[in-house]
Amino acid sequence: MSRIGVFVCHCGENISATVNCEKVAQISKELKGVEFSTDYKYMCSDPGQTMLKEAIKEHKLDGVVVAACSPRMHEPTFRKACSEAGLNPYLCEMSNIREHCSWVHPKDDLTTEKAEDLVRVMVEKVKKNKALNSIKVPVTKTALVIGGGVAGIQAALDIANCGHKVVMVEKQPSIGGHMSQLSETFPTLDCSQCILTPRMVEIAQHPNITLYTYAEVEKVDGFIGNFKITVRKKSKSLDEHLCTGCGLCTTKCPQKKIPNEFERGLGFRPAIYVPFPQAVPNKPVIDRENCTYYIKGKCKVCEIVCPTKAIRFDQEDELVEIEAGAIVLATGFDVLKSDFFPEYGYGKYKDVIDGLQFERLASASGPTMGEIRRPSDGQIPKKIVFVACAGSRDPAKGIEYCSKICCMYTAKHAMLYKHKVHDGTPYVFYMDIRAGGKMYEEFVRRAIVEDETQYIRGRVSTIYEKNGKLIVKGADTLMGAEPVEIEADMVVLATAGVANHGAEALAQTVHVSYDAYKFFAEAHPKLKPVETNTAGIFLAGACQAPKDIPESVAAASGAAVKVAALFSNDELTREPLIAVVNRQAPPVFSSCVGCFLCQSVCPYQAIEREEIKNRNGEVIKTLAKVNEGLCQGCGTCVALCRTKAIDIHGYSNQQVYTEVMALLND
Amino acid sequence: MQDFEPKIVAFVCNWCTYAGADLTGTSRTKYAANVKIIRFPCTGRIDFMILMKAFENGADGIIVSGCHPNDCHYSTGNFHARRRWIVFRNLMNFTGIDTERILFSWVSAAEGFKWADVVNNTVAKIREMGPYENYNKIAVSTLLKEEVSNHE
Amino acid sequence: MNELINKVTKLLNDKTIDAFIGYGQGSTDRVRAIFARTVEQASKLIYTPACTFNLSGYLLKHEVKHLGKLGILANVAALRSIMQLASEFQIKDGEVYILFVNDDASLTEFSDFQSIEAFLEKANIDITPDEKARIEKIEAMSVSERWEFWNKEFEKCIKCYACRAACPMCYCHRCTTDVNQPQWIPVASHERGNLDYHLMRAMHLAGRCINCGECANACPMDIPLNLLTYQLIDPIKTGFGATAGMKADAVYALSTFKPDDKENFII
Ligand SMILES: Cc1cc2nc3c(=O)[nH]c(=O)nc-3n(C[C@H](O)[C@H](O)[C@H](O)COP(=O)(O)OP(=O)(O)OC[C@H]3O[C@@H](n4cnc5c(N)ncnc54)[C@H](O)[C@@H]3O)c2cc1C
Ligand code: SF4
Ligand code: SF4
Ligand code: SF4
Repeated sequence: MSRIGVFVCHCGENISATVNCEKVAQISKELKGVEFSTDYKYMCSDPGQTMLKEAIKEHKLDGVVVAACSPRMHEPTFRKACSEAGLNPYLCEMSNIREHCSWVHPKDDLTTEKAEDLVRVMVEKVKKNKALNSIKVPVTKTALVIGGGVAGIQAALDIANCGHKVVMVEKQPSIGGHMSQLSETFPTLDCSQCILTPRMVEIAQHPNITLYTYAEVEKVDGFIGNFKITVRKKSKSLDEHLCTGCGLCTTKCPQKKIPNEFERGLGFRPAIYVPFPQAVPNKPVIDRENCTYYIKGKCKVCEIVCPTKAIRFDQEDELVEIEAGAIVLATGFDVLKSDFFPEYGYGKYKDVIDGLQFERLASASGPTMGEIRRPSDGQIPKKIVFVACAGSRDPAKGIEYCSKICCMYTAKHAMLYKHKVHDGTPYVFYMDIRAGGKMYEEFVRRAIVEDETQYIRGRVSTIYEKNGKLIVKGADTLMGAEPVEIEADMVVLATAGVANHGAEALAQTVHVSYDAYKFFAEAHPKLKPVETNTAGIFLAGACQAPKDIPESVAAASGAAVKVAALFSNDELTREPLIAVVNRQAPPVFSSCVGCFLCQSVCPYQAIEREEIKNRNGEVIKTLAKVNEGLCQGCGTCVALCRTKAIDIHGYSNQQVYTEVMALLND
Repeated sequence: MQDFEPKIVAFVCNWCTYAGADLTGTSRTKYAANVKIIRFPCTGRIDFMILMKAFENGADGIIVSGCHPNDCHYSTGNFHARRRWIVFRNLMNFTGIDTERILFSWVSAAEGFKWADVVNNTVAKIREMGPYENYNKIAVSTLLKEEVSNHE
Repeated sequence: MNELINKVTKLLNDKTIDAFIGYGQGSTDRVRAIFARTVEQASKLIYTPACTFNLSGYLLKHEVKHLGKLGILANVAALRSIMQLASEFQIKDGEVYILFVNDDASLTEFSDFQSIEAFLEKANIDITPDEKARIEKIEAMSVSERWEFWNKEFEKCIKCYACRAACPMCYCHRCTTDVNQPQWIPVASHERGNLDYHLMRAMHLAGRCINCGECANACPMDIPLNLLTYQLIDPIKTGFGATAGMKADAVYALSTFKPDDKENFII
């Protein structure tokens, strides 16, 4: 038999002006199982809470209903008060007789009756409530950062500086990401390498950071606070401890004509290479696909010349196991390339290049030492056309979004060009100029006014070659769609920023969701921009959507704070209002039949498989099991399960059923 | 029929519609007292069986409401709910359950006024339709049978 | 028929299987399921035009499972059941030996799920024109006529649960009808409980029903309860692009969604 206490609040006059609170308290007293009931002016005030606590003790209450304002307002208050009086907080419920009753109805009998109904529903519900304890999950205070671009670097340094361990996994031989390829950066035109390199070095030297380059995450198990990650360190064919980074091998390698990825094909590299001079770590790897030894079985020139005998041709990939409490995804983005623009002749005409290639041309350490020379003949282009929105905002190309960074870097490119080729003319074809950001609009203005860039509003329809010139045809929509034709020496396409190749696979490995464009999805577009739907996994930088450097860095610091907050306790406390799959004595074990139809509905991948084994270790059943660390308590699985094997605390089948019964059968 | 007061149960999610109804309250927007809310964590939690139970226990109308698509607190619960509603509504229709008596809506935490409208319109509509006789009839004949079997 | 008996005899002899689920002659002139564990029992196997019912329901029954490795004579419905059960992790590839009698009486054996999937792609899986016509007739009624129609039908139900036992997709070991905390489905067979039961049954089979019709065949009260689930096949197919029992790794239509799923009733 229950001993429930009902406390009806007047909320000053907010409730009592339209609801007869005394009557509600009186009627509630008549309900079966109600031991005590009263009404009071302000239940949430100190005296109100004291009264509640005393009543719990005096009447040995085993359930409490507070009829007052919205539980979204004061449920924590009253649950805490109950807990202080020795009653399990989850045995306290609230009836919302203010927002849902007194404030929205006139003063009459119906309103008071509704309040009585709402109290009765909660009295019946609370009888079915169970005492629950909050869930404690231990936290491993190591963060895994995947991707070593500027976002990953920022996140790793922030977390490491909070005193926590960080493991960084980077796919390429060096960290740095796209930013290391950039020449100068908007809106200040400071040299990209100059601001990035010190931070890359800091990563390598930080006592709290372990760096794995040329490595990829292969498997992720576990959940928030307790991830188990397998990392594959691809063989570099090198003993990194012996290598001093002298670079002799790279100069002697007979393979010299491999297109250089870092230069985006505008230069060459050998088979044993360091991607760029400031690389971190500054030690070479052998690209086995292009190495003569791996192709033909002989060569080994590098091994012969290496003064420290660091080359290891028989080195194998290594699998490293990592335990981490949180994961930051910072795998960045990619830009469209290749055959995406047959109409612009990219790939066909050497002098049609993309923005990143232009960055390399403009870079002092690039293939032309910073001079703008066109790839075909090394001439300095006198007329150059920049095409913004190449692929972006074009539903026909499947990219409906704005790539966001191109307007800015196109203005930057026009400027850099003009600074280097004083007598040249830069043209920009654009759809709109989107320059929202601190000092951004001013920056674009400068490109137009000071550097005399010719901005033409319209899309380019075709580009073709004629007499050594690139004919760019478009329309000027500000001049009544008048056709425009420019004989250019070189064309730069601001190709759309897209999700990384392999982002989808990584999302599946790590168990986070992604959007229609394969960018990783945030948990909430406004309020949880750096969280994913998987607890303990966060996002930093352009892996979420195209972002510029300031935004990437801000997001990275945001993600780092989330990680640091998570690591600030040894244990994670979570509300126990989560789903459970029932368990019974053998041989039944559970009413779950292991259909796993519930598995794919869970937004948090919280439903796991548990194998029930007999004494001989043979699997006799596979049952669903809810991971306490991951479940957020939405209950979507509960409504799906045909056999009602899953239920959810706080909104259990018994509870909601009872509520409906109590509401309709007075 | 004059003094028929429809009984309407609203099944709503905690994050959008419940909060929206809170806002209706804070804005002191008035609406009919016939609708009573049962709170769920998410529309994804709302089992068709609980809707069934509401009708058979004398509800004249039902409101089911949650976050707009893409706004789900749990990101996808409402999408799953929507599929189930599509199917369940089909089945109700085929078995002759009056789908005019069950309203599905998206009401966000900011749509306090919309909530008042949803309630008022539903109450007005059900008031016009009258009590849910069909379901009530089987409920009554069931009670009689239960009594008979209890006497046996 | 001989080919079938020979094949099963061979399978039993070389211990490929321990038991074979096929058709045999019942006591009256009805066909029934037999479970052949010996060569002698295998010789009783028949295959006649009357052998139309879906034997796959037996695959998950406790008593049958305990016979060891099973073989089965499957028709199209049974193949679809097996695919659906596979997608619900109830049958693993290679776990059951599957034989199928072709139109020319020759035998096909399905060595893996993939071959079943390929076969089903070309098979006729539609409900019969007669069933379709009956659904359309009900759909043409007014709401209250439909209500009366089904109410009359459900009134007859004696809650024997023969339909549940016959359905290959009803394999839960504790059906929600047997849950008593809360008592979702009243135990007695009165109109209210019957309606509850039939709505629940239909919803639980929505997107999973492979239209074999065993439920209606099994019903001693001749309730056309197969129409309830058949009626949902089309909207699930056109709305969500899903058809039950076609692929062993299919994702259940109601376990997934598309952000742009179409509806016209949510305000
Ligand atoms: C042409 C061009 C010019 C630009 N100019 C400017 C500018 O002037 N100013 C400005 O603010 N921004 C500029 N940007 C934008 C800038 O490049 C990005 O904001 C920035 O690079 C984003 O950093 P990130 O770390 O998020 O991603 P990235 O730089 O893409 O770094 C991602 C890193 O993750 C690694 N990675 C990828 N997948 C995996 C995996 N599976 N496992 C492990 N590691 C992985 C990659 O190798 C890379 O190192 C420009 C962009 C372009 C294309
Ligand atoms: S909990 Fe329910 S839905 Fe999930 S596997 Fe078990 S029976 Fe299937
Ligand atoms: S309640 Fe929601 S989050 Fe928890 S296991 Fe079920 S579907 Fe997943
Ligand atoms: S077989 Fe027929 S009578 Fe028996 S429970 Fe099913 S519908 Fe009712």
